[in-house]
Amino acid sequence: MEQVMSTINLSAIYPEIILTCFSLLILLMQSFSTPRFKEYYGYVSLVGVLAALAFVVMEPSSFFAQTVVYSFNDMWVVDNYARFFKLIFLLGTGLTILISMKYLEDEAMQYGEYFALILFATIGMMIMASAGELITLFLGLELMSLSLYVLAGYTRVRMVSNEAALKYFILGSFATGFLLYGIALIYGSTGTTSIRAVAASVGKYGLYSPGLVMGMAMLVVAFGFKAALVPFHMWTPDVYEGAPAPITAFMSAGPKAAAFAAFARVFMEGLPALQMEWTWLIWIMAALTMTIGNVIALVQDNIKRMLAYSSIAHAGYVLVAFLAAGELGISSVLYYLLTYTFMNIGAFAIITALSGRGEPRVFVRDYQGLGFQHPFAAVAMSLFLFSLAGIPPTGGFMGKFYIFSAAVKEGYIGLAVIGVVNSVVSVYYYLRVTVAMYMEEPSSVREAEAAAPIFSPALVIAIFISAYGVLSLGLFPSSYVAIVKQSFLALQ
Amino acid sequence: MLLAVVSGFAAALFAPFIHRRLPRYSGWLFATLPAGLFVYFVSFSGRIAEAEPPRFAYTWLGSLGIDLTFHVDGLSLLFALLIAAIGALVIVYSGSYLAGHAEQGIFFSHMLAFMASMLGLVLADNAIVLFIFWELTSLSSYFLIGFDHRRAGARHAALQALLVTGLGGLALLAGLILMGSVFGTLEISQWMLTGDAIRFHVLYLPIVLLIAGAAFTKSAQIPFHFWLPNAMEAPAPVSTYLHSATMVKAGIYLLARLNPVLGDTVMWSALVTTFGAATMVTGAYLALVHVDLKRILAYTTISALGMMTMLLGIGTPIAIQACVVFLLAHALYKGALFLVAGAIDHATGVRDATRLGGLFGQMPVVAIAGLVAALSSAGVPPHLGFVGKELVYQALSEHLLNAILLGAMLLTSISFVAVAGVVGYRPFFEGMRDVAREPHPPGLSLCLGPALLAALGLIIGVAPGLVEHWLVAPAASAIGFQPVAVELALWHGFHYNLLLTLFAFATGMFVYSRWDGFRAVCTSLDASASFGPARGYDLLLTATSAAARATTRILQSGHLHFYLLTIVVTAIALIGGSLLTQHLPLGVSRWSDVRIHEFVLAVLVLAATVLVVRARKLITAVVSLGVVGYGVALFFLFFSAPDLAMTQFAIESLSVLLLVLVLFRLPEIERYSRTSERVRDAVPALIFGGLMTILVLTVTALSREARLAPFFAEHSYPDAKGMNVVNVILVDFRGLDTMGEITVLSIAAIGVFSLLKLFLKGKRESEGNP
Repeated sequence: MEQVMSTINLSAIYPEIILTCFSLLILLMQSFSTPRFKEYYGYVSLVGVLAALAFVVMEPSSFFAQTVVYSFNDMWVVDNYARFFKLIFLLGTGLTILISMKYLEDEAMQYGEYFALILFATIGMMIMASAGELITLFLGLELMSLSLYVLAGYTRVRMVSNEAALKYFILGSFATGFLLYGIALIYGSTGTTSIRAVAASVGKYGLYSPGLVMGMAMLVVAFGFKAALVPFHMWTPDVYEGAPAPITAFMSAGPKAAAFAAFARVFMEGLPALQMEWTWLIWIMAALTMTIGNVIALVQDNIKRMLAYSSIAHAGYVLVAFLAAGELGISSVLYYLLTYTFMNIGAFAIITALSGRGEPRVFVRDYQGLGFQHPFAAVAMSLFLFSLAGIPPTGGFMGKFYIFSAAVKEGYIGLAVIGVVNSVVSVYYYLRVTVAMYMEEPSSVREAEAAAPIFSPALVIAIFISAYGVLSLGLFPSSYVAIVKQSFLALQ
Repeated sequence: MLLAVVSGFAAALFAPFIHRRLPRYSGWLFATLPAGLFVYFVSFSGRIAEAEPPRFAYTWLGSLGIDLTFHVDGLSLLFALLIAAIGALVIVYSGSYLAGHAEQGIFFSHMLAFMASMLGLVLADNAIVLFIFWELTSLSSYFLIGFDHRRAGARHAALQALLVTGLGGLALLAGLILMGSVFGTLEISQWMLTGDAIRFHVLYLPIVLLIAGAAFTKSAQIPFHFWLPNAMEAPAPVSTYLHSATMVKAGIYLLARLNPVLGDTVMWSALVTTFGAATMVTGAYLALVHVDLKRILAYTTISALGMMTMLLGIGTPIAIQACVVFLLAHALYKGALFLVAGAIDHATGVRDATRLGGLFGQMPVVAIAGLVAALSSAGVPPHLGFVGKELVYQALSEHLLNAILLGAMLLTSISFVAVAGVVGYRPFFEGMRDVAREPHPPGLSLCLGPALLAALGLIIGVAPGLVEHWLVAPAASAIGFQPVAVELALWHGFHYNLLLTLFAFATGMFVYSRWDGFRAVCTSLDASASFGPARGYDLLLTATSAAARATTRILQSGHLHFYLLTIVVTAIALIGGSLLTQHLPLGVSRWSDVRIHEFVLAVLVLAATVLVVRARKLITAVVSLGVVGYGVALFFLFFSAPDLAMTQFAIESLSVLLLVLVLFRLPEIERYSRTSERVRDAVPALIFGGLMTILVLTVTALSREARLAPFFAEHSYPDAKGMNVVNVILVDFRGLDTMGEITVLSIAAIGVFSLLKLFLKGKRESEGNP
């Protein structure tokens, strides 16, 4: 694996530069053009995402060349690990934009900030994935979080949306405080904020400083909050329920993956010497996250809320793989997060289509009879739900299989058993929606007519891309596995 | 081979469209696929008998040890042939049984998908591929049981079946992954060659329990048997195909497949034999208690599955042989009987055996098929059922505990005879009872299935040589993993087993004649309905749901307050926990140089903090907060950081100002919380504050060497040719930062501009429409 070091290498941040330019462009369009152009904000941001995608793969060298580029005095790393995460973020962003366009039109909220904020959040995530240094990581995390706070409350006429934004903001800033304290402690103990230098320092002097362990504990709190791990998960259902449906889709995929990206880089690359200290902690958190997420999801009637708890549970599965570490563990984290992005955003695409103006129809009962009225939407929804439940031959199954094999191989059999039992529990609530779609009649005909979903072409494209992703990850996993394995190698 | 497995899925995809085009003949058309597959699999028979079983490998996910590998040995072939043959007949049958049903196309689609899954399951060589197909059968079974989705009973039964078999499926996955980790490969055919390693492995016990759990749920063994009778909500072709002939035998297949690897230990035989025998007797008893034709058949199926499980647990060559023959016999006669029950239901709309009778006149072909199949199930010569039962008696009599097992078998046989009477004789040949509507005669496609299956059972029974070498022997060899010589015969000469058969037949006839009385006694004694495992399942569901609700109430109150408290308490536990294990240098020695004005300022800041919390008026709180901020800024000033202090002053002034402006429009603080709550909050707050103080002390106690100022002073002139250090920092060392700041300012300006524009627009509009 070739390593390229340089003080300043702008080509390493081309994707981020491009996205920044595009988000500024949208803001300028919003300010200086006639309202006629408001339909194009989405397309412009989509072009930006695609351009960034191309540069992530090609710059500063091809993805398959396996080069690691360090820039800005080690503050910035472009390795395949970072690139893979950036692909996940951009994928999530692209799908979200596709889902959002018609939604915003119906809600009469076609403003440029929406897309600009989504792009800013994406840039933040990309910074988190590439940060070779804790303060850079913090900047990325804040850029992402601040954009999300605003987006969560974007439908500002709705009380739940406001409540979501406020709760998210207060709790989120609190968590950010922990991150800063943690970074400060680690800096105080090692005299550096560069992740690699921290590892070198700890490797050289050992655990000589008490601040190090406490700093690590604080980072666990901060990342635990951003990735919605129990017991720092409580904001998730309230925020997911209140936020506009496309934003919920967005938040459940990218930012969560970004939190894991940073979490893994800091802990695996920076603090491997502390493994003894965090193993038991992560073990407990993984078990709790899977169990509490799934158990509470059982009784949710609001489907957005249900998927919020399900996303907590899925973070628990990812945490199992995180704990297993090693090649199998980390590559299964990547595989699972990619799959999760497809299946969760796919499910939210259908929720968005069905929710209706002002989102009154987000309950399981609103899905009754969908299988007869809109067979293709129902088939797609079943596919995403089956994948979330981990039923073969979907990507969700492959991902879970990957994770639990890694856990068994590394000796975490207890955790794998808890995970498998949890998967059974989860089948029950995902199936409730399928049952409603195929086996129940809508409570009245008038209601069924009122519930006509809105399928714009963009939304249908998003559904197709997601469905393709879920199926191809399940049926033809080998090429994806090859890619995630390459991406893991970068972390060595 | 891949094509053979996948073709069913492809057909399933197009079935609804084809059906829409050809609603009348679609059944016959779809049946050609399994019929073709049947011919294809027959072509393997020669190759299997003589040589190494053929193996097919398709690359899929090699890096994880999973490839699409298929393997055709005797056992797979026996199952594949049954699946294809009965599949063809059942699909023809459903063409007529569900004629005119609005969702018949979807039904065919599910049936074909199920058939493909089942074929994949029995042919797969890779353990994970086997699991995937196993889950797919559960899933398609779910849709087929719930096919009549307008009835709540069907939905409930479908969910129950899926949850029970899905649970077993995950046990299977866990067991297979463990076996894979023991053997280092996921290819089942490789496991066979490794020998005894696993039987002495630490994980042997969990593996056996998991695999047995999977097999028992799928094959409806006690205590998981309850889902099968409920699954009778499904249409008759589904019950025939899935719940008697193929899917429920997947558990048997699994036990048989892994018998060479896991079998032949005391643990295995004890577990499998005990559960099998218990299921056999329970099923036989419950079959006599019910009156619904399909439920009766379901319980005898449970009983028969128990018998096969028991035989696999015994594991001697003769027991394995008996298992194979009985499996074949059972598939034929039970398939026929279910189809007959379906035909009766279709013709009369009645499934209650006590209300049926005298149907021979309306449906002679079905009646004869039913009678022949029933005789086979009762074990009457010269049917295949007789051959099978004789072998079972022989296998049991060689067992160590022959008395108990033979007794159980005898009871089961008696029940089977009685049930044969109830199902195969009574509805046709006894006097007419109260049937709601005039029965209509069944057509060709309704008669074909039962007639053919029943006839096959009779023909093979008369001439068992037809199947012994190419079908039964390879299957038995595959289960035992050693060549087994099979000699099947209808007539073994006089043997005391024959006496058992005769006794069972006579007693069974007696029970049949006293069936109504027997049932009445049983029902009055029957407590199983209220305390059985089915009740346990319901309780479990209710309890889980209640627990989930309780957890939600506790953990998701919606109060921001509570969320914060949780995070803080957890953080205290985490940080406090790590503090306890550490030795902390607090740097107390350096406190001696605290100057008096610093001390005064510290007291002032603390007092202001207390005031913030205690203040009754918002404005007091805000001003106190400002005092805290100014105090901190003064600290910066004391410790020679004037720039930081200036920033802090500016920000404090601004935030106090803004807060005051906003707060003027808000109502006064009320007492939101009770004293007890305030105390509860105060405790974590104080602990957390204490922890933070300790942390700050610890960090300041550590010496740091990094100093930036000398670096800039030294390098400004030589590197950047600038005398003014600040300027050099701004335009050279931190050039990019400066550009970033300028960008931020521009973005902010754009934002302000947009807001102004919106504001102006709003103003103009409101002026436009007063």
